[in-house]
Amino acid sequence: MVDSLSLKSEVAAPAPAPAPKRGRGRPRPSVRSRREGWAAYVFLIPWFLGLFLITIGPIVASLYLSFTDYSLLDEAKWVGLDNYVKMFTEDPRFWASLKVTTIYVVVSVPLQLGFALALALLLDRGLRGLSFYRSIYYLPSLLGGSVAIAILWRKIFGADGLVNAVLAIFGIQGTSYVNNPDTALSTLILLHVWTFGAPMVIFLAGLRQIPSSYYEAASIDGAGVVQQFKSVTLPLLTPIIFFNLVLEVIKSFQSFTQSFIVSNGTGGPSDSTLFYTLYLYSKGFKEYEMGYASAMAWVLVIIIAGLTGVNFLASKYWVFYGDDSK
Amino acid sequence: MRSLKTAALLAVAAMTLAACGSGGDAAEGDGKVKLRFSYWGSDARQKLTEQVIAAFEKKNPTIDVVGEFSDWPSYYESLATKVAANDAPDVMTLEIRGLAEYGGRGALADLAGKVNVADLDQQVLSTGNFDGKQYAIPTGVNVMGMIVNKAALDKAGEELPDDKTWTWDDYIKLSEKITKAGDGSTFGTEYTFNQVYLSMFAAQRGEKFYNNGKIGITPETIKAWWANFDQLIKTKGSPDAAKMAEIAAAGVEQSLIGTNKGVFGMWWSNQLGTLSKVSGSELTLLRLPKAEGASSHGMFLQPAMHWTASSKTEHPAEAQKFIDYLVNDPEAAGILLSDRGLPINSKVLAAVKDKLPPADQQSLTFVDSIKSELATAEVPPKGGSKMEDIVRRYSEAVTSGQQSADEAATKLLEEANAAIAG
Repeated sequence: MVDSLSLKSEVAAPAPAPAPKRGRGRPRPSVRSRREGWAAYVFLIPWFLGLFLITIGPIVASLYLSFTDYSLLDEAKWVGLDNYVKMFTEDPRFWASLKVTTIYVVVSVPLQLGFALALALLLDRGLRGLSFYRSIYYLPSLLGGSVAIAILWRKIFGADGLVNAVLAIFGIQGTSYVNNPDTALSTLILLHVWTFGAPMVIFLAGLRQIPSSYYEAASIDGAGVVQQFKSVTLPLLTPIIFFNLVLEVIKSFQSFTQSFIVSNGTGGPSDSTLFYTLYLYSKGFKEYEMGYASAMAWVLVIIIAGLTGVNFLASKYWVFYGDDSK
Repeated sequence: MRSLKTAALLAVAAMTLAACGSGGDAAEGDGKVKLRFSYWGSDARQKLTEQVIAAFEKKNPTIDVVGEFSDWPSYYESLATKVAANDAPDVMTLEIRGLAEYGGRGALADLAGKVNVADLDQQVLSTGNFDGKQYAIPTGVNVMGMIVNKAALDKAGEELPDDKTWTWDDYIKLSEKITKAGDGSTFGTEYTFNQVYLSMFAAQRGEKFYNNGKIGITPETIKAWWANFDQLIKTKGSPDAAKMAEIAAAGVEQSLIGTNKGVFGMWWSNQLGTLSKVSGSELTLLRLPKAEGASSHGMFLQPAMHWTASSKTEHPAEAQKFIDYLVNDPEAAGILLSDRGLPINSKVLAAVKDKLPPADQQSLTFVDSIKSELATAEVPPKGGSKMEDIVRRYSEAVTSGQQSADEAATKLLEEANAAIAG
């Protein structure tokens, strides 16, 4: 107790002490702080255990397993690059799942970000009860990945669901959208777009960062609302857009729950919602091909790393950080 | 003070480590042998199973059976993970498709001579045999037949067809008539892409699903099978593909027969009970329609599930004792009744026959009346558990018009052959 009290007073005490000397290298830690560092590590043990046992261990194991034929039920047999070769040359479902996932990402991410930005601009107008609206719109982001919402989605877009009930008022007879290969993926894209809250909150924060003097200056120069958006808001917001883009691309490439629940774990009808991760899961746990599933996981890592890399490279050409001297 | 604090920190760390390292206790403090038993099913089945476990423990006070229950969709996922972690339950419930996957990979113990099988139906018992080893004991049997909702049939003003002679054409035409007779909310039939249905359809044409390590069905048969669905959808004898997919996914309770919105449907005989209960209507079981000129209906006795013991169990004797109890003791059957299929032990069946609920009496009578026509289920080879998904996927593609039947039949066979080749 004495210890922690003294610690507190140390922190709280005003600092009349001279500024730290800028000697060569870092100042040597005192005996005391070294001891506290040790204590910190002890307290961090549970976290380290988690990191090594639950995260890094399995990652390393899956790298090894990706070069084996492993059924889960018996020993893993080393097969070299066979899994990777098979994936690229003789597995049409691998390509199908990649196609479905790519369409999902390419369509839903821009839609979602556009929607998020539009709403952020609206809310930024100094609305009364802003925090209320912000929470309401943020809610779907918290729920969107959940099982309950996926089940709800299945009901809404089912044959006797809400959508068809509304259409019936106008005399239109709809189909079961989640069970129709032509529309199933669209319902999942819609679900993703609906979770625009998280990027919206980040956009809102970004909009607050733009000094109002810029807008004043622009309006004195005779810029209208559209011109202000194009010349002030958008350029200054590009770092935020970039951040959201990178985040959402990674996140949506790994989407799993929505398809798993809406399609009952099948990726159906006829593979129209077969997300990459869903296929990976069914290979590993349903078809007894954990080695192959591990290889798929590593290919996914490479794909996502590649996409993120491309994103960063491309960002040089459109993202504007205020302090650019160029 | 310092040392006290250090000690406290170490204690916290030790506790954390201890929490991570618990488990793996073979015997409990009270000297009982702990036997882990995994199974899947509904809440009702869980209750019955807990009762049967309690009855077994009463007879065998030195054994403590711990039930590991899960729902069906996640059952194999969690079981495979346990086996992979060298943490396999001592007694595992599998179904026929899991037999080759687990037995063929050395995960199961040979039960030949370990469990008394003298009173069991030997033909059905053979479905627990793989690679010459008795890896599994069937829990009971089912037959997939055509279930008819008689109330809905009467409402449409149609007669019950003669199931000894009716053909697929008769079935499709009758379904069309029934739908037409109603106001559009009642359908003649619902259909299923169950691989078992395709097996029976092929058997009528003299083809076996698995034949010497290959798929024995011809593309013509698959296309003829799909043509039936197309015809049903076109004539509105059944709902359209998307609606049908939705009904199929919703399960037995939400089926057309169960909700009195359809007359025909192919179901396992043990589902008759649930269907009767949820529909509240009089249902009856029929033989499947036949192909023109076929000599048999292609129907067969399917083991509902299998009892198996892990090859790595530390308590083989206790595991065998528990399985023996489940299949041979009338007390166990008196609790489980037909929940895991109709008992295949003749003595047990005689003892519990009168206790069976009416729906099960009905399916028992049906099975007995057609017994001489029934074949025995074949054990699917390794990779056979992928078949259900393959058949369903291509059938969806064809019925929804995504793929031509010609192309899909070729691809289906390619993929199915590759699945069992590996």
